[in-house]
Amino acid sequence: MRALAPAAVFFASAALAPLVVHDAFFLDGLVLILLWGTTAAAWNVAGGYAGQISLGHSAFFGLGAYGAAILGTRWELSPWLGLVAGAAVATAIGLVIGYLSNRLRGPYFVLATIAFSQVLLLGGSRWRAFTAGSEGIPVPFRPGFWTLGLVDKRLWVWILLAFAVLAYLVALYLERARRGYQLAAVREDEDAALSLGVPARRLKVVAICVSAALTAACGALWAQYVGFVDPFYVFSIDLSIRFALAAIVGGLGTALGPFLGAALVTTVETYLRAEFGGIGGRFIGTYLIVYGCALIVMVRWLPQGLVGWIGARWHRGAAARTTP
Amino acid sequence: MHAIPQLIVSTLLLAGVYALIAVGLTLIFGVMRVVNFAHGEFLMLGMYLAVGAFAFLRFDPYLTLAVSLPIGFAVGWMSYRGVMGPIIHGSHNVQVFTTVGLSIALQNLALVLFTADARFLRTEYYAVVVRVAGAAFNVAQIVAFVVAVALTAGLFAFMRWSYTGKVMRATAQDRHASALMGIDTDRVYALTWAVGITCVGAAGVLLAPIYPVYPTAGLQFVLIAYVAVVLGGLGDMVGAVIAALVIATVEVFGSYVIGTAWKEVLYLLLFIAILIVRPAGLFGQRGAEALGM
Repeated sequence: MRALAPAAVFFASAALAPLVVHDAFFLDGLVLILLWGTTAAAWNVAGGYAGQISLGHSAFFGLGAYGAAILGTRWELSPWLGLVAGAAVATAIGLVIGYLSNRLRGPYFVLATIAFSQVLLLGGSRWRAFTAGSEGIPVPFRPGFWTLGLVDKRLWVWILLAFAVLAYLVALYLERARRGYQLAAVREDEDAALSLGVPARRLKVVAICVSAALTAACGALWAQYVGFVDPFYVFSIDLSIRFALAAIVGGLGTALGPFLGAALVTTVETYLRAEFGGIGGRFIGTYLIVYGCALIVMVRWLPQGLVGWIGARWHRGAAARTTP
Repeated sequence: MHAIPQLIVSTLLLAGVYALIAVGLTLIFGVMRVVNFAHGEFLMLGMYLAVGAFAFLRFDPYLTLAVSLPIGFAVGWMSYRGVMGPIIHGSHNVQVFTTVGLSIALQNLALVLFTADARFLRTEYYAVVVRVAGAAFNVAQIVAFVVAVALTAGLFAFMRWSYTGKVMRATAQDRHASALMGIDTDRVYALTWAVGITCVGAAGVLLAPIYPVYPTAGLQFVLIAYVAVVLGGLGDMVGAVIAALVIATVEVFGSYVIGTAWKEVLYLLLFIAILIVRPAGLFGQRGAEALGM
């Protein structure tokens, strides 16, 4: 149970913070941390636990966003249905990518995922009749919970918290259950796992599909929260990298890591934007330079991420306390 | 059918530059087993070098080209020593994210330094058009093609006949065995990386007079290069050149038949299809080394 304490503290403080602080800027930051944390945790299911490094996860995010936006604007349906529809389509694409993951390894798989997100980007920006093309879709604000037209940012915090906890529980399942151990075996040595009778191929496909569905759900919520879907953003490689970055900074293949990573990355981004993004937006790219360098530095010196680093210090401290 | 000669010429002109970009990428993959996700950013830097030299020093882009070769090599060598070298024996994830990090950092460095505005390099002879046998083409395109083909051929000759090229090929075949034969593999990797960057940087200089230059300009070309490299078989230089020709054909004839709006979709779908049907490329052998790492 003690292993769960940090996560309990993290999620409980996220749940209680809106009751204490009413500052819109702070709540907005919290919503974004939970949103990006959930996407990173979803990416982590495929990238961290199953070892299938994808740089095309924005494909799923965009499908969710477009699902909510198109169902909402075209047929005036609830974004919740759009979320489900987007997640269903994302799962179907996840099946295809999962199939590919059984044929392609390493850099080939990465390239294939990029190609998928690029095809969807081009589809989203060029298929004007269905997606409104490159102008994107403004998502209308319809008040109410069912239509996700919520002015109160506290509600957003709690909705996203529910998804964040769901993503965390999936990760926890992968850390505790037999299936999770099998998936770890596949990640470390697929051939060895196969020879021991682990259904490696099926596990990888399922992991990618779960990851895809969760990412799509985040995309639908994001579209509703921000109110605008731009194909060049929601399907971009940059967005895919953002998911991966938060997971890597926090700790690949750890349950809480992606959330800590997202908290750090989002905070740094907000700070740098406020600091340098001002006049003329000349330094708008500054935070991305920091991102890029952080990525290089993290994978080289802290491949275990924040969670690994803190964990190592903790254990060393604990060992020092017990041994006289 | 009067358009056919024009289409063929356009295909060839396009293929030359694609080949130069793809050859550098496939060389780096073949020898170092690293997919360089920052390849497009080095192309973009080459483009800015040409634009900057033209704007401030009044350098003709083809003079810049000569200067760009040593600069590209130096930039490549330094980026290997600083960034790639330390992780060259790391896992795939580490390598992928290091080059991705490099890509983001360089792209946004360009954004901060040069802003997002598209820049154009317009030489006096920009609008000069040559007409041969019913096909019209632009001088900048022809020069780009000729230089790209010459550089690619030079690289092939270097790999084929020079001692260093032989050493690089040996390292590509078996890095452990070549290390045992006394080859300084780290130096070979540095050299390979630098040569690959030099190629793509030169391609950037050649493309600058033809295409608008902006911080993410490299992406569209490098996506094509990825397709070419996979199509030709990762690490196969001849395959990459043939694949560049295939993609240019698909792009030019595809745009002619179904319109330019969907040409990228066409080659990306071709890419996915190839990955599914023949992941080792059209001509490649499905080797455990390249696929099962």
